[in-house]
Amino acid sequence: MLIEDHIRKNKRATVIICIFMLLLLFSVIFAIGYVLGAPPIFSTAIGLPIAIAYILITYSFSVQSVISAAGARPANPQNRDEKILIYKVEEMSLAAGLPTPKVYVQDSKDINAFATGKKPEDSIICATTGAIQQLNKEELEGVIGHEMSHIKNRDILVMTVTVGVVGAIALIAEIVFRMLFWGGIRGGGKSDRRGGGNVIVLILAIVFIILAPIFSRLTYLAISRKREYLADADGAYLTRNPEGLARALEKIKEDIPDDPKGSKTVAPLYISNPFKRALRDSIWSTHPPLDERIKRLRSM
Amino acid sequence: MDLLTIGIILLIILIIVILLLVFWGIYNKIIRHENRIDNAWAQIDVQLKRRADLIPNLMETVKGYMTHERQTLESVTNARAAIMSAKTPQEANNANNMLTGALKTLFAVAESYPDLKASQNFLSLQDELTHTEEKIAYSRQHFNDSVLTYNNAIETFPGNFFARWMGRKTREMLQIPEASREVPKVSF
Repeated sequence: MLIEDHIRKNKRATVIICIFMLLLLFSVIFAIGYVLGAPPIFSTAIGLPIAIAYILITYSFSVQSVISAAGARPANPQNRDEKILIYKVEEMSLAAGLPTPKVYVQDSKDINAFATGKKPEDSIICATTGAIQQLNKEELEGVIGHEMSHIKNRDILVMTVTVGVVGAIALIAEIVFRMLFWGGIRGGGKSDRRGGGNVIVLILAIVFIILAPIFSRLTYLAISRKREYLADADGAYLTRNPEGLARALEKIKEDIPDDPKGSKTVAPLYISNPFKRALRDSIWSTHPPLDERIKRLRSM
Repeated sequence: MDLLTIGIILLIILIIVILLLVFWGIYNKIIRHENRIDNAWAQIDVQLKRRADLIPNLMETVKGYMTHERQTLESVTNARAAIMSAKTPQEANNANNMLTGALKTLFAVAESYPDLKASQNFLSLQDELTHTEEKIAYSRQHFNDSVLTYNNAIETFPGNFFARWMGRKTREMLQIPEASREVPKVSF
């Protein structure tokens, strides 16, 4: 498959999964309304603002918290390795047609990099000292191309909103669960005449509310993986050299992480999840399996 | 008026509004893509100028070491002079290609001057020039990518109708001449 085909496929997948996520959110809100005996308008009027407020708040605090959590510092042009990193970020931003992001460095022996920022004009790319020392120019370029693609595709926005929706669903489900626990169940409105059928729907609604946070987390992880594939493909398009990133990923595979720093929420912004190595290749991981990523890159 | 008539009128209004929004979107998209091309073109010039600006410093650094390489050094300075005095884009383009070739030779020759290669000044200039060559290459790549996006927008449906109405034609991509196809490669 050509790079362009990979890009199109991943974008389509993202849209489908996001629609699913939104449907999930609305279903949770309606299910709650049903269980509490409130009309859908009412539950939407309450649930939606909560969800939106949650998302906006997490989004505004995204950048600074990421940088401090990672313990990152601005790159030093006097240091040759860091100078090369700065060069690579400049080159990739020209290829992408974006303003050059600020360049930061995280002191760590692991090979990793991440991107963050509220909008492309105001972004940061950070790489570990392990990355700039162990990767050669081509491989580093591949990694930076991947990170630049995250910025270009506004993945920080996409993932923060998705996390927000997941959080909102979990929050709403939590609140409702407590209300049910303490307040008893009031049932689905005026249809007490229909007896048995009503109870089944009620139970289904409750089970749905309990499972919704799990579904939404799985959906969030699926979105995260698709965006990673997309960033791989877009990054390869920028460098016109998929092999560079493929080799870098191979080096990451060999590398055993020994000091993951920073908050877990930013794990999806890294090129490889620095925290959950054990869960690396399951539906519970934020990143697709390294072997599969390498395979796709080499097929471009 | 009965309900049916009102319903139909509202539906027609809705369709018109949606169509207007779509047209608005397509029109703006074409303009944005076109502006991107102009911006990308200007960016190439910025990088080419940056490269030309580095030459005097480079000459100062190497001339003490490469005293017997008059021809090599002269081709670089001549190329730069040609860039500075170029009057048409074609002249500038030719001069820039000349410079690429001349620099390639200079760095190849510099390999046999260990004293020069040990000089911190030279090394950092070499880094800077390699970096600038990469930037030129990526700026050109971005220009071609922008042209592709624009051409796609005005050749596919429904953009093609707008393009005709707006008087927009497809743009040409940059063809890289053979001489500058090989960027001066320096081993690290």
